[in-house]
Amino acid sequence: MLSDFETQLLSVMMMVIMLGMGASLTFKDFALALRKPTGIGIGLVTTYVLTPLVGVTLATVLNLPPAYAVGLILMACLPGGTTSNIFNYFSKGVLSLSLLMTVVSTLFAVLLVPLILGLLTQNIEGEWRIPPENVARVLFVLLVPTLIGMGLRKWKPNVGAVIEMVGGALGVVVILFLIVSWVPRNYGLLLTTPWQVYAGAIGLGVVGFAVGYAFARLVRQDKRRARTIALETGIQNGPLGVLIVLLSFEGSQQQQVLLIPVLYSLFIVLTSSALTVWFRRITAREEAARDNAKIGALPSPA
Amino acid sequence: MNAPTPMAGLQPPAPLSPSAWPHLPAMVADVAGQHADRTAFTCVMPNGMNGSLSYAEVQAHSDAFAHYLRAVCQLHAGDRVALQLPNSLAYPVALLGVLKAGCVAVNTNPLYTPAEMAHQFKDSGAQAVVIVDLFADKLEAILAQTDIRHVVIARLPEFFPPLVGGIVQAVLRHWHRQVPRHALQAVTLADALALGRAAVPGPASIYREGLGPDSLALLQYTGGTTGVAKGAMLTHGNLLANLEQMLAMARSRIEPGREVVLTALPLYHIFAFTVNFLVMFRMGAHNVLVPNPRPVQNLQRAFENYPITWVTGVNTLYNALLSEEWFTAFPPRHLKAAGGGGAAMHAAVVARWEKLTGTPLIEGYGLTEASPVVSFQPLDGPRRPDTIGLPAPGTEVRLADDEGDPVAPGEPGELLLRGPQVMQGYWKRPEATAEVLKDGWLHTGDIAVRDPDGVLRIVDRKKDLVLVSGFNVYPNEVEAVLAEHPGVQEAAVIGVPDARSGEAVRAYVVRRDPALAIDDLRSHCAARLTSYKRPVHYEFRDELPKTPIGKILRKNLRAEVLSACQEA
Repeated sequence: MLSDFETQLLSVMMMVIMLGMGASLTFKDFALALRKPTGIGIGLVTTYVLTPLVGVTLATVLNLPPAYAVGLILMACLPGGTTSNIFNYFSKGVLSLSLLMTVVSTLFAVLLVPLILGLLTQNIEGEWRIPPENVARVLFVLLVPTLIGMGLRKWKPNVGAVIEMVGGALGVVVILFLIVSWVPRNYGLLLTTPWQVYAGAIGLGVVGFAVGYAFARLVRQDKRRARTIALETGIQNGPLGVLIVLLSFEGSQQQQVLLIPVLYSLFIVLTSSALTVWFRRITAREEAARDNAKIGALPSPA
Repeated sequence: MNAPTPMAGLQPPAPLSPSAWPHLPAMVADVAGQHADRTAFTCVMPNGMNGSLSYAEVQAHSDAFAHYLRAVCQLHAGDRVALQLPNSLAYPVALLGVLKAGCVAVNTNPLYTPAEMAHQFKDSGAQAVVIVDLFADKLEAILAQTDIRHVVIARLPEFFPPLVGGIVQAVLRHWHRQVPRHALQAVTLADALALGRAAVPGPASIYREGLGPDSLALLQYTGGTTGVAKGAMLTHGNLLANLEQMLAMARSRIEPGREVVLTALPLYHIFAFTVNFLVMFRMGAHNVLVPNPRPVQNLQRAFENYPITWVTGVNTLYNALLSEEWFTAFPPRHLKAAGGGGAAMHAAVVARWEKLTGTPLIEGYGLTEASPVVSFQPLDGPRRPDTIGLPAPGTEVRLADDEGDPVAPGEPGELLLRGPQVMQGYWKRPEATAEVLKDGWLHTGDIAVRDPDGVLRIVDRKKDLVLVSGFNVYPNEVEAVLAEHPGVQEAAVIGVPDARSGEAVRAYVVRRDPALAIDDLRSHCAARLTSYKRPVHYEFRDELPKTPIGKILRKNLRAEVLSACQEA
C-alpha cells in the first residue's frame, strides 16, 4: 500500500505529466484532429472499443476475481498517455498520428471512460466497482494542468518544450518510483500473486499491441502507421490508473485493486521498450532499403 | 490577365541609388545601433526550443569574433575564413565577425563530403574555419591537406538559454548520436569570443582601414553540379548594391524594425544569404532561423510561435508547405509577401499559395555570380506567372544568340547582364572567368525571352534543353504542365537518348494521389502540349534528387539513365 505522502506525490507527478501533455498540444491540434475523421475513428475505436474489450476478455478468460478484474478493466478503459508518444518518437513512428490519437482519446476521456467503465463493470459486485463519477472528477481535474500546459507553451515556447519533455519523461519516472517504493515492500505479495494476474497485467499491453496492429492493417494503414497505432493501443496511461485507484479505494481493498495497474505499469515499460527497439530496426531497415534502391539506380562514381 | 504595355526597344535600367555605406561592417554598425534592443535572430528547433540574439548582442559578439581572428589568430585583412554552419545563431556572429575583421568568408555546405570540403578549403586557401560540431569528424579527416590553422567549433544550440541549449545538445549527442568524437585541436566558439574580448576590448571598427566597396567579402562556391566548384568573388560593394536592388523592389512591404522573416533556406546559399540575411538585417527585421526544414513539419513551431511576415523559399518548399494540413488549415495570418527563386516556381504552386495566404508570392531570378538577384516580379504591380519580372534597378540585361549577337524581339536567347552586383570573377581561375565575363557582361547560361513590355521569362538552362527531332523542348514547360495535375506532387523532366527522335522526353513524377496512373498523365499532357513536347517515358518515384535548397537535380536523373543505357 502507498502512504498518503506517496499518494500526494503521485498526484503532483500526474499533474506535471498532464502539464507536459498540454504543452505538447495547441488548440490548433484539436481543430486539426477534428478535421481528420480516419485518425479520430482509429483513435476512438482502439482506445474505447478494442482495448476495453481486450481487458474484459482477459479478465473473463483468466477468471480473475473482482478486485483484479476491476483493476484490469480500468486500465483497459483509460486513454493513452504522453508515454506512448515518447515510445513512438524513439521507435521512429508517425509522431503526428501518435499525437492525434492521444489528443482524441484525451478529449473524449471525461465522457467515455466513465461510461465504458460503468458498462463493463456492471456485473462486478458493488463494493469493488469504481464509481464513474470519481473517474470523471479525476479526469476533469487533470484537464486543468493540461490547459495550463497549453497556455505555457503559447506564452514561452522554451518553457513549453521543456515541460513537454519533463512531463513525458516523468511518465517513466513515476513507474520507476513505483518499482523502488512499492515492489520491495510487497515482494511477498508479488510472490504469492497467482499467474493469472501477471498474465492479465502483461497481456493487456501485449494483446493491445497485436490487436492495434491488426486493426490498423485491416483499415488499410501502411506498416509504419500500423506500428504507431500498435504502440498507441497497447500503452495506456498507467499512472492515471494508479491515481484513480488510490482515490477510489482504501486499505487492503486499495492494495488488491492496485495490483494490476501497478504490474501493468511495470511491465508495459519493458514490453514497449522491447517493441520500440524492434520497430526502430524495422523502420531503419525500410528506410535503408529505400535509400539503397535509389543509390543502386545511380551510376557509381568510377 | 494583365495586358502587357508595349514598350519600344531596350529599356535603360531603372536608376539605383547608391548604398549609404562603403562596406558591410559600417552598415551592420548603423543598423545594430538603431535597433539595438530588438531581436535580430531566433533559432527554432522542431520542438519549439529556441534561442535569440538582439541586434546589440550580434554586434558585440561579432566584434569579439573579429578580435579573435585578428588579434588572437593573427589573421590579416583578405585572409579567408570558411564557415561551415547550418542555420543557427553561430552563423550571423561568425559571418559578421569575419567581415568586420576585414577577412573573406567562404560559405561551405555543412553536408559536403570530406572530398568536397578538401577541394573548397584548398582552393580558397582558407586559414581558419568555423564548423558545427555535428560534422567535425569530416574536417578531421581532411584538415592536414588544407592551410587551415585555426578551428572554431560551434554548437547547433549556440547562444540558447543554458538549460534549453543543454537539453538540445544532450539530445543531439546522446539520443541522435549526431555529435561525433574528434581529436581536432580546436576552440569552442564561446572560448573564441572570450579570447577575442580579452585580447582587444571595444569595437572592431579598428580593422576597417583599407576596407571599401572593392574589398572582397565572400567567396561563394558554385558550379559543383558541372565539374569542379569555383569560388565566385563577391565584394562588399557587390553585396551592398544587391541588397539595395532587392530593397528597391520590395521596400513597399518591408517596414524598418517591423518584419519577421522565416529563413528555412540555408544561409550558406547565396539566395538566403543576401535576401534573408543581408536585406532583412539592413531593415532591422527579426530573422527566424530554422536549422533543417526537412521534414517540412520542422517549420510548424516557427510558424506557430512567431508572427511571420515574410518567407522566402524555392518551389519545392512552398509545394511541401501546401501539402501540410497544419499549414493549409491555419495559414500564417501576419504574412505580407513571399519570395521565390533558386529554381523556377511553378504557376500552379504560386496560384495555390496566393489563394491560401492572400499575399503575393513573387518570383525572382538570380545566380551566385550576381550576388544573386538579377530580377524580380513587381510586388504590388501587375505580374504574370512564369515570368521573372523586370531587371533590378541598375541592371542591364540583353538576350544573345550563340555568337553573342542580340536575338530578335520575342526570340529566346542567352541572358547576359551587367550591373553593380556582378562578381569580380572566379577565385584564381582566369580562364573560367573569361568564359562567363566578357566586356563586363555576365553570361548566365540561362535562356530567356523578353516580352514586349520588357518582362523576362526564363525558358530553361541552356544545357537542360531536350532536342526532340530538331525541336527544342524546355523541361520547365513540361514540368509545369505535369505539376498542374492535381494528382501530381512534383515532377522532373529530362531528355534521354532515343533511336528515332535523337532525344525523347522522360518524366519523373512524385504522386500526391497514389491512384494516379500513367495514362492519366498521358491524356493530361496530350490536352496541353504539342506532341513532340509530351513525355514518352514516365516513371513514378517516392522522391526526386535535390540540392540542399531543394532544387531538383535533373543531372542526377540523366546520369541514372545514361548508366542504365551503358549497362544495356
